[in-house]
Amino acid sequence: MTSYLYEKDLVPQKYRILVANRHDALVRGIARELDIPVQELRKYLIEHLDMMLLENLPARAEMADAHADRDDPLARALGREKYTLYLKILPDVTMEHIFREVSDRVHAGSATEDALAYGRVRILEELRR
Amino acid sequence: MTILQRIKNKVRARSIHVAYVDVGSCNGCDIEVLACLAPRYDIEQYGIFVHNNPREADVLLVIGAYTPGWEEKLAMVWEKIPDPKAAVAIGNCPISGCVFNRRETFIDPPVRKHIPIAAEVPGCPPRPTEILQAILSVRDSVFANWEAEHP
Amino acid sequence: MKRTVDVNIPLGPIHPCFKEPARLKCEAKGERIVSAEVELGYMKKGIERIMKGRPWQEVMFLAERVCGICSVIHNMVFIEAMEQISGISVPPRAANLRVIANELDRMQSHLLANFSYCYTIEHETLGMYLLDLREQVMDELERLTGARVTCAYIIPGGVRCDILPENAELLQASLDRIERDLRRYAGMFADGPMIALRSRGVGILTPEAAQRAHAVGPTARASGITIDCRVNHPTYQKLGFVPVSRTDCDNYARIMVRFDEVAQSISLIRKSLQDLPAGIIRGGGICKAGETRYSGEAPRGELTYFIKSDEFGRILEIQIQTPSIMNIEACCHEMIIGVDSIADVTSTFVSSDPCIACTER
Repeated sequence: MTSYLYEKDLVPQKYRILVANRHDALVRGIARELDIPVQELRKYLIEHLDMMLLENLPARAEMADAHADRDDPLARALGREKYTLYLKILPDVTMEHIFREVSDRVHAGSATEDALAYGRVRILEELRR
Repeated sequence: MTILQRIKNKVRARSIHVAYVDVGSCNGCDIEVLACLAPRYDIEQYGIFVHNNPREADVLLVIGAYTPGWEEKLAMVWEKIPDPKAAVAIGNCPISGCVFNRRETFIDPPVRKHIPIAAEVPGCPPRPTEILQAILSVRDSVFANWEAEHP
Repeated sequence: MKRTVDVNIPLGPIHPCFKEPARLKCEAKGERIVSAEVELGYMKKGIERIMKGRPWQEVMFLAERVCGICSVIHNMVFIEAMEQISGISVPPRAANLRVIANELDRMQSHLLANFSYCYTIEHETLGMYLLDLREQVMDELERLTGARVTCAYIIPGGVRCDILPENAELLQASLDRIERDLRRYAGMFADGPMIALRSRGVGILTPEAAQRAHAVGPTARASGITIDCRVNHPTYQKLGFVPVSRTDCDNYARIMVRFDEVAQSISLIRKSLQDLPAGIIRGGGICKAGETRYSGEAPRGELTYFIKSDEFGRILEIQIQTPSIMNIEACCHEMIIGVDSIADVTSTFVSSDPCIACTER
């Protein structure tokens, strides 16, 4: 995000977008999945995404549910493409890194659930950084 | 009035530049303003030129019901327009807020609270001919004897 | 994220090429655009908040005023959603009249979009021709519904007024004239060498990117994705509707898709005038409680209403997903990236037919 000296604070307007019915449901869903407080996720979204993308989040999430990572169940469960290509919450490189760690764990013999839980904790760490 | 002033008045009234600014409408009035450009209504035959640049405008068409995004920005646009200038409110929205002026809304009408309005055209949306007539009436009342009033 | 940026160019909110206020922040390397952001907030009226708790009779007029350019389809989708909730059936004559009003609205919207594009690439002659053609369509819309914009023609269980036989004849004659002119102007656009320089290969939207951003309408159909909600609509199915699409993915394709769709709308109107069944235009009915998701094809693409109503026909919850949300998003985050000059930014932005009033509601 680029900040301008002569621009007024856009946070209230972005917040208004995020509390509309469908946006609210989506944000709460992601917050549940990643186990992050809703208000913290909202703050992250407001700081990192522009208004147009915020408006479009539900439509993008819908497309992610239909098309993201269709041939890789592990990546789909972690939301590899969902969080990078579709929702643009995380940068590609970071997500690729996390996904490699998770799939290494699965190959090393740990349970898929545990590996995914670890992956979500890593995503959360990235979000909080 | 000197002859020079008379010429100035005449020239001013024959070449009006228009800028329009949408401060939160439904778009219906915007397209009616655009329709004024069409060969049928032909706004340019009256010497009115629509170019959306406030710095060289004479008349500002204000469309819409004043949303929070325009706080201080509309006043800035108004200040950028050189004298003589006039603002015309198009449609019901800048006058009363139209259907949007209800509970839970974000808008803050009327626009004349924020900048001085010279003429108002009610309608949801007004017809292009009415918009044209309003601009022409402003021309006659503001620009045609500007020199006499502001020596 | 750290980025190497040469210049940072904010466009808008007031810009000679934009009909409506939006703020485009482009980050450029030389003159090539690296990334772009759109900031809104100049048109946020809170229509969905106003709609909550109001009876459908009021919401109907508010729905129309979500967007003034495509007001007929907002009216139609809201009313058909209420009809779906309440199980109201539409008389066949009214269904055909709805198609006529909707297609006339689509024609004027597409012609306006193409005018805006021609105006932005400084081809004012063609722009004025198209605007003049649009006035003829507006005349027909006014003759049919009684108003140019926001006509509130469609009501639950039918339409507001019938088409008179002499008006039907006038409409036929007018369509012939419009089709003749349209063919000429579309040919001018298709063959213009200067237009091709400004439009071909500019603002590429790949099918994958279009799908990710959920692009809809002519923007998606110019990228080879044939989604069109009209194929699911019973009246359009009866008229044998087949969506048009192109695979060039650039500005030129988007404008040509709109030209093709105007021609298609003309034939749809002709067909529905021909098969116009006799009978009543208002069936009546009572709006009831229920919840639904209903989509219709607006001029800009798929328009979806999520509605929940109570037993008196009051709207409890409503969310409107307008096509411009997806299209502008696809435009500013996918199309504009890599465009070669700032002049092409405005023309690319306008080619996606942005409607900020829809987007912000």
